[in-house]
Amino acid sequence: MKILLAEDDFASRKFMDKQLSRYGDCDVMVDGEEAVDAFMMALEDGEPYDLACLDVMMPVMDGYQVLKAIRDIEAQKGIPKSKRVKVIMTTALNDERNVKMAFELGCEAYAGKPIDVEKFEKVLNKLGLI
Amino acid sequence: MAEEFNTDSMLDMFLYESGQLLEKLEGIILEKQDADCFDDSDINEIFRVMHTIKGSSGVLMYENITKVTHKLEDVFYYLRESHPDDVPHMELVEKVLAVSDFVTGELDKLKSGDNPDGDEKQLVADLDEFLGRLKGEIKKQGIEMPQANRHVEPTQFYITPVAGDDSHFYRISIHYRSDTQMSNLRAYSATYALKEVAEDLLYTPDDILSNEASSDVIIAEGFHMLLQTKSSKEEVIALIDSSEAEEINFDELTKQEYGNALGEFGRENVAPAEQPADAAKSDDKEAKKEGPKPGDYVVKTKEAGKGKTLAKNQPKQQSIISVNVEKMDSLMDLIGELVIAEAVVLQNPDLKVPGLELSNFQKASGQLSKITTELQEVIMSMRMMPLTNVFQKMRRIVFDVSRKLGKDIELEVIGENTEVDKNIIEHITDPLMHLVRNSVDHGIEEDAADRTAVGKPAKGKITLEAKNEGGKVYISVKDDGKGLNKEKLYQKALDKGLIDKPMSEFTDKEIFRFITLPGFSTKEQVTEYSGRGVGMDVVVKNIQTISGRLDITSVEYEGSEMTLVIPLTLAIINGIVVQVGNSPFVIETASIKEFVRLGDDSLIHEPSGEEYIVLRGECFPFIRLNEKYDLPDSIDKIEEGIIVVLEHEGSQVCVLIDKLLQEQEIVVKPIPSYVRKVKGLSGCTQLGDGSIALILDIAGLLMHDGERR
Repeated sequence: MKILLAEDDFASRKFMDKQLSRYGDCDVMVDGEEAVDAFMMALEDGEPYDLACLDVMMPVMDGYQVLKAIRDIEAQKGIPKSKRVKVIMTTALNDERNVKMAFELGCEAYAGKPIDVEKFEKVLNKLGLI
Repeated sequence: MAEEFNTDSMLDMFLYESGQLLEKLEGIILEKQDADCFDDSDINEIFRVMHTIKGSSGVLMYENITKVTHKLEDVFYYLRESHPDDVPHMELVEKVLAVSDFVTGELDKLKSGDNPDGDEKQLVADLDEFLGRLKGEIKKQGIEMPQANRHVEPTQFYITPVAGDDSHFYRISIHYRSDTQMSNLRAYSATYALKEVAEDLLYTPDDILSNEASSDVIIAEGFHMLLQTKSSKEEVIALIDSSEAEEINFDELTKQEYGNALGEFGRENVAPAEQPADAAKSDDKEAKKEGPKPGDYVVKTKEAGKGKTLAKNQPKQQSIISVNVEKMDSLMDLIGELVIAEAVVLQNPDLKVPGLELSNFQKASGQLSKITTELQEVIMSMRMMPLTNVFQKMRRIVFDVSRKLGKDIELEVIGENTEVDKNIIEHITDPLMHLVRNSVDHGIEEDAADRTAVGKPAKGKITLEAKNEGGKVYISVKDDGKGLNKEKLYQKALDKGLIDKPMSEFTDKEIFRFITLPGFSTKEQVTEYSGRGVGMDVVVKNIQTISGRLDITSVEYEGSEMTLVIPLTLAIINGIVVQVGNSPFVIETASIKEFVRLGDDSLIHEPSGEEYIVLRGECFPFIRLNEKYDLPDSIDKIEEGIIVVLEHEGSQVCVLIDKLLQEQEIVVKPIPSYVRKVKGLSGCTQLGDGSIALILDIAGLLMHDGERR
């Protein structure tokens, strides 16, 4: 499985990288724009990501913008819903309105930090990724 | 950030919504428990409630809740689609209540931060079995089977953050030796090592790498870190390079302290929920309808080593905030102190110097009094809560107990919107529950035939009533059952050795009050619900701790009524300060009927030494406070003093005082325990001049007066 991880905080990045690497190849980005670039590149190379884990508070573009950009690009390329990359937001911003907005923007899951690894795995399972 | 440690707003929202829905559900169920079946709108409503809870618990991945509500939703789906006849209504009611109980239990676990790990299998199996029968019934009645209820599996999930209970919070301070070279790099290597285990790490000074001058600061003030981690203290210490360090301070913090400490470390409030209120105000209008938008959380390019700041500050306002009850209590106490302080200022003896020009002072003090009064009202109203929830619980108890005992009982609820101080609600729930149970168990006759024999309807009736009168709240539990038998009660109390006087010495009320004595229970057989003889005395004790009382009235064969009389508020009363001898006393304004001056001819002396006052043809017992409390230098002749007529629950008593001093808001303070046995006093307070006044307890006076006779 190909995983895109966007996270600007070093400690979180290290932790997530360690966790996610168990499931597949993990590309690590440090800001929102890089994440979108990486997503585009993978798409053009014909090797799209299966999972994207996006932090919300990042430089240049925040996680919600990245999510929106990803969904827009997919829509533009006519990628069917079932083939879309699964997106999990990972952030401590778990205010109800933020969560709702993220769901509306089309993320698959919203994980509050600190991340419950057990549940995280369960969700990956439910999303059919592992 | 600090907030996310304690609460998760998604979880809060789930708990709140589900709690509301379940309450609504119980309301419907208990209202319709006696009907033959649910009508369409109820079925729709229950279906909707289950559907909603199922959906949201699915998103939050509480699978046991999802499974149970899913099953019940199925049941109601078939009811809604097929309208089968002969649905075993009572069983259905029980099933719904069972589910509601289960979910409530799980929600409670979540609230207290536990894992919702209740086992749903039995319940699901029960519901399956019920659903199976229901389907069979539908088939038998020849109704077309609806298509199976299609469930949409949730496609979006919310992963609640780990509660952080197993996280430790540390404050670490490192002081390096003053000759340490490049202490900033040493400090950085410490943070670097800690990042391995850190869930959150903050340090100050925060520009250690980019700013060489920071090494001087570190030497002078030490290097401070806040760390959240799962690792133990020993593991963390092992990670820190302690060479060159003169001293390492290591404090474990609580979550709360950690949250507070974040501010000291200059962490920006990144969560919108924590934006300062004025920021919210400035953008109030636009912000009102707008939620967050993508792009609100772009982080400014980080300056090396600095904490994050958001490029755009996100305004946010909230109409409701939840406040810790302890904070409310301490605010309440402070306001009480403020009221006393106000009195001390306004009635300061220094102001009594003759010839002072005080008109400006009076104006200002008037303003101050107005504000403190308003302040009191506001805090009181913040603490007021309707009794609705408590009464809802009672409905449930009547339902459960009457079903178990096989009695047919209806419950009437009056005045459930009466508002009472939150503290009081907490104190009365258990006693009230006990009284209601007692009424169902002991009050209402076992056998409906006993009821019809004396001309009462076969169905028992319990009335739960709350009302607000004269600064007190009356909550009564009335049943139309067999009532209390005075002879039996007396005999029982005598047998148990609780009393030793002949029956004629007791009034009816006193005899009824026997049931509140410890170790007294009239029921021969102890049932699951009541009759152990512990209970009524506990009820009375609980009520007394909030300075309330329990009144019992009863007519045999017609029923009994237990009334809890509770003060509306515990803290501040409106009182009149009077003087007897050199001692000030306070009398609660609500219990004063009138002040009169009477001549000696109104006084009746009994040979036994008791005295009575005749006022407008009525005769009242008379108490001389100066004699009662041995106060010297007071007025003995009633024509020189003032007679105060006090009323308490319909009985009156007159007391003689020297003079009236003033009316005042009184902050009630409890009497120290070593004085408590003095009858007729309920508390004390501090007056404006700093002296202590005792508060008269009219009930105590009357009781004492009664005993004397």
